[in-house]
Amino acid sequence: MMTAALEYFQFVLAPQMLIGLVLGVAVILVALGLTIIFGLLDVINMSHGEFYALGAFIALALASIGLPFWLLLLLVLLMMLPVGYIVERGLIQRVFHSGERHVTTLLLTFGLGLVMEDAFRLAFGPNPHKPATPIAGAIDVFGVFLPLYRLFLIAGGAVIVALVALVVYRTRLGAMVRAAAFDRHMAASLGVPVQHVYAGAFAFGVALAGLAGVLLAPIYSVFPTMGRDFILMAFTVVIVGGMGSIAGVIVAGLLLTQVQAISSLYISPVWSDPIVFGIMVIMLMVRPQGLFGRLGHG
Amino acid sequence: MADALTRSMRASHVLAAVLVVAALIFAAVGAAIDDTFYLRLGTEALIFAGLALSVDILLGYTGLLSLGQALYFGLGAYLSALVLMVTPSFWAAMGATLIAAIVVGAIGGFIANRVRGVYFALITFGMAQIVAKIVYNTRALGASDGLIGVPVINVNFGIASISSASPVGFFLFTLAFIVVLYALAAYLLDTPFGRLLIALKANERRVPFLGYSTVTPRLTAYVIAAVIAALSGALYPMLRGFVSPELLFFSTSGNAVITLVTGGVGTLVGALYGGILLTVLKSVVGSYTEHHLIVIGLLFMGAVIFLPRGLMGIVRPAVERWLGGKVVP
Amino acid sequence: MSAPVLEVRELSVHFGGLRAVDNVSFAIARNRITTVIGPNGAGKSTLFNLISGAVRPRAGQVLIDGVDMTGQPPHRLQAAGLARSFQITNLFFELSVAENLRLAAQILEPNRMAWRPVGASRRAHARVDELLARFGLADKAAYPVGKLSHGEQRRLEVAVALACQPKVLLLDEPTQGMSHGDTEDTAKLIKSLADDVTVLLIEHDIGLVMSLSDQVIVMHQGQKLAEGTPAEVRSNPAVQAAYFGHA
Repeated sequence: MMTAALEYFQFVLAPQMLIGLVLGVAVILVALGLTIIFGLLDVINMSHGEFYALGAFIALALASIGLPFWLLLLLVLLMMLPVGYIVERGLIQRVFHSGERHVTTLLLTFGLGLVMEDAFRLAFGPNPHKPATPIAGAIDVFGVFLPLYRLFLIAGGAVIVALVALVVYRTRLGAMVRAAAFDRHMAASLGVPVQHVYAGAFAFGVALAGLAGVLLAPIYSVFPTMGRDFILMAFTVVIVGGMGSIAGVIVAGLLLTQVQAISSLYISPVWSDPIVFGIMVIMLMVRPQGLFGRLGHG
Repeated sequence: MADALTRSMRASHVLAAVLVVAALIFAAVGAAIDDTFYLRLGTEALIFAGLALSVDILLGYTGLLSLGQALYFGLGAYLSALVLMVTPSFWAAMGATLIAAIVVGAIGGFIANRVRGVYFALITFGMAQIVAKIVYNTRALGASDGLIGVPVINVNFGIASISSASPVGFFLFTLAFIVVLYALAAYLLDTPFGRLLIALKANERRVPFLGYSTVTPRLTAYVIAAVIAALSGALYPMLRGFVSPELLFFSTSGNAVITLVTGGVGTLVGALYGGILLTVLKSVVGSYTEHHLIVIGLLFMGAVIFLPRGLMGIVRPAVERWLGGKVVP
Repeated sequence: MSAPVLEVRELSVHFGGLRAVDNVSFAIARNRITTVIGPNGAGKSTLFNLISGAVRPRAGQVLIDGVDMTGQPPHRLQAAGLARSFQITNLFFELSVAENLRLAAQILEPNRMAWRPVGASRRAHARVDELLARFGLADKAAYPVGKLSHGEQRRLEVAVALACQPKVLLLDEPTQGMSHGDTEDTAKLIKSLADDVTVLLIEHDIGLVMSLSDQVIVMHQGQKLAEGTPAEVRSNPAVQAAYFGHA
C-alpha cells in the first residue's frame, strides 16, 4: 500500500507538481510585474502578456545571431527597461490624468497589445518557434526524474522574486516606490521623483514579464498569441493574491498553478482555464481585495 | 421641454437618419451593379455594429466596461445556427435567442455585477474566454471548425418575404433590424430608467440616496445589452451560412470596443458609424497587407489619446448646435 | 401622542477599536429643527451615516415613524421618507442642475413612468421647477453642476435632498464653506422648510445653531453629551467643558 502511494508520488504526482512549479515561477514573475504596475500606477496593463512575448521574441532574434543563453537573459532585461520606460512616459502618461483613468489606460494598453501582437506576426510569422533547451539533461532524485533546466528555472525564478521583494521592502529605492504608491503628492513633496518612479516601475514590471518569456520559451515555444493565453492566469493570480500585493502574488501564484497542474491529472485540460477563472470570480465576489492587502490604492 | 440629454439623443437620431440614407444609396448602387461582395460586407458591418451598440449601453451610459460581449454575440450566433438547421424559421431562431439571452444575461449579470470598474472588465473578459474555450473544445458544436450548412431562409412578414441569400434584400433587412435595435436602445435611454443608468455612471455612490438600489438597474442594463448583442449575433449565420468559435473570442469583444471608442462612446450612433468606419478600414488596409491590426491598433490608440469622445463626440455637438440647442458655459 | 418621526435607540458603531458612535439615543418630534453639534471627531457624520443607512450599526435601532428601519440600505430608508445631504458635495457634477433635481424628484412618480419618455413625468418636472424657484437656481437650471459656485452647489445639495418630499431631512453641514451672505440665506431657507419637513442638522456655526434650532443635541467622543433647547445647552457646564476644556 505504501509502495503504491510512493510510486504514485514518484511517477505521477511529483513530476506534475514540478511542472506546476515551473509554471508557477513564470506566472509569479509575470504577475509580479502586473501587480507592481497596478499597485503603483493604478494602471491595468492589458498589453502585459505581449511584453512577456516580447522578451521571448527578442531572445529568439538574439539567439539567431548566435548569442548564448546567459547573455540573452541579461540583454533582454536591459533592452526591455528602456522600452517600458518610454511606453509609460510616452503613452500612458498622456491619458493618466483623464477622469476615467482606469478605463482609458485599459483601452490604451489593449490597443498596444494588439499592435504588438500583430507586429510579432509581421516580424516572425504566425508559427511557433521552439528554442533549444539551454541546459540539457536531468537528474534523478529519489526516483523522480527532474530535468535540469526546469530546476534551474525554479531556482532562478525564486532568486529573482526574492531579490524583488528584498529591493521593495528593504532598500531605500523600495521605500521611495512604496511611498509614491501610498501617497503621490506627499512623496513628491518629500523629494521623491514621482514621474521617474512611475516610469521605472512600469519598465521594471514589463521587464520581469519579458524575462519570464525568455525563461519559458524553451518549454512552451514562442508564437505571437502566447501573451494572450498567459494573461488570464496572470490576472487571476493578481486578483486572488490582491492587486498590489507582492506576497499575494507569490502565494496565489504557487497555489493556483499547483491546483491547475494536479487537477489536470484528473480532469481534461479543457477545464483548467474554467477552474482558474472560477476561482477568480469567486474571489471577486467574496473578497474582492484578494487574499492580502495592497501596496497602494486601487 | 427637452433637456440637454434629450437634445443630444435627438442629434444622434439625425445622424442615424443620415447613415440610413447613405446605406440606402449604397444598397441602390450595389443592386444596380449586381454586387454581392460589398453588400454582404456591409451587412456584416451592420451586424457587428449591433454588438458595438450593446457595448455602448454598458460603457457609454451605465459606465461599465464589458470586455466580453462576444459571449452573447456568439451565443446568439450559435443558437440561431442550431435552430435554423432544425427548422429554417427566422422567428424561431430569434425567439430562442431572445429567451436564451435573457436567461444567460441574467446569470452573467448576477456574476459580473457584484463588482465594478476594472474588476467588472476582467470578469466579463474571463467569462467570455471560458465559454469560448468550452465551445472550441466541444465536438457537438463543431469544435474549432464551427457549424456549417446553415440553410438559406426566408424572412416572412406576411405580405412579403426576404431571402437571406439576396445580397440587397438581406442588407436592407439587416439595416432595418439594426435601426430597430438602435431605436429601442435610444428610447430606453431617454426614460427615467435610462437616466438612472446615466446617473450610475456619473456618481454611483449617490444613487441609493435618491431612493434606488444600484443592483436592479445595472442588472437590467446588462441583460438589455446581452439581448442586443445576441440578437445581432443571430443574424450572422443567416448571412454567412456558418458560425465559428472566432465569434466568441476576445478579438470580437475587443473589436466591438474599438469600434465604439473610435465611433464615439455614449452616443449610440457612434457604434453604427464606428462599425462602418472600421469595416471600411479593414477592407482598405487589408488589401495592402494582412497586418491590418497594426494600423487599426495604432488608430485606436490615437483615438484614445487624442479623440477620447470619438468621431461622434465631435460631430454630434455640432449637430446639436445646428438643431438650435442653447450653448451652455 | 404619536410616535416621533425619527427615533434613535442605543445606536453604536465601532471602527476597529474606535467607538465612533456610542450608545446614542434621542427622539425627534415632527416639524422641528434639531441640530447636532460637537467638536470635530465627535461622531456627527457617522451618526448621519448610521441613520441614513450608509453604515450598518453594531447595536441599537433606528425607527422612522415608529417602524424599525435598522440596518436597511439607503434606498429603503429613502422610501420610508428619509433624505439626506452630504458634507462634501456629492452631486452629479456632469449633469445639469435640473437633471440632478429631476433624478431626486422622480421617486414621486409611479414606477411605470420609468419606462415612458422622461418628459412625461410631469409631477417630477413640476417639483423641479418649484425647487429651482425656491432655491434661486432657476437661471442656472441648464448648467452642469460642476460649473456652479460653491455656495450654489451647497444650496443644490439641500434642494436635491428635499426633492423627494421626505418626512425627515438630514442636512450635513449645509453651510460648509459658504460666505456670510449665503449662510444667512440658507438659514432662512431651512427655517422655512420646517413647515413641511422635520429637519435634523449638523452645524458648526454656533450663531446659526442658536437662532435656527428648536432642539440641540451635543455629541462628544461618540456619545450624546447633552440635549435640550439652545439656551439649556449653552449654559450646560459639561458642554462648555467639552468645547473649551478638553476639546
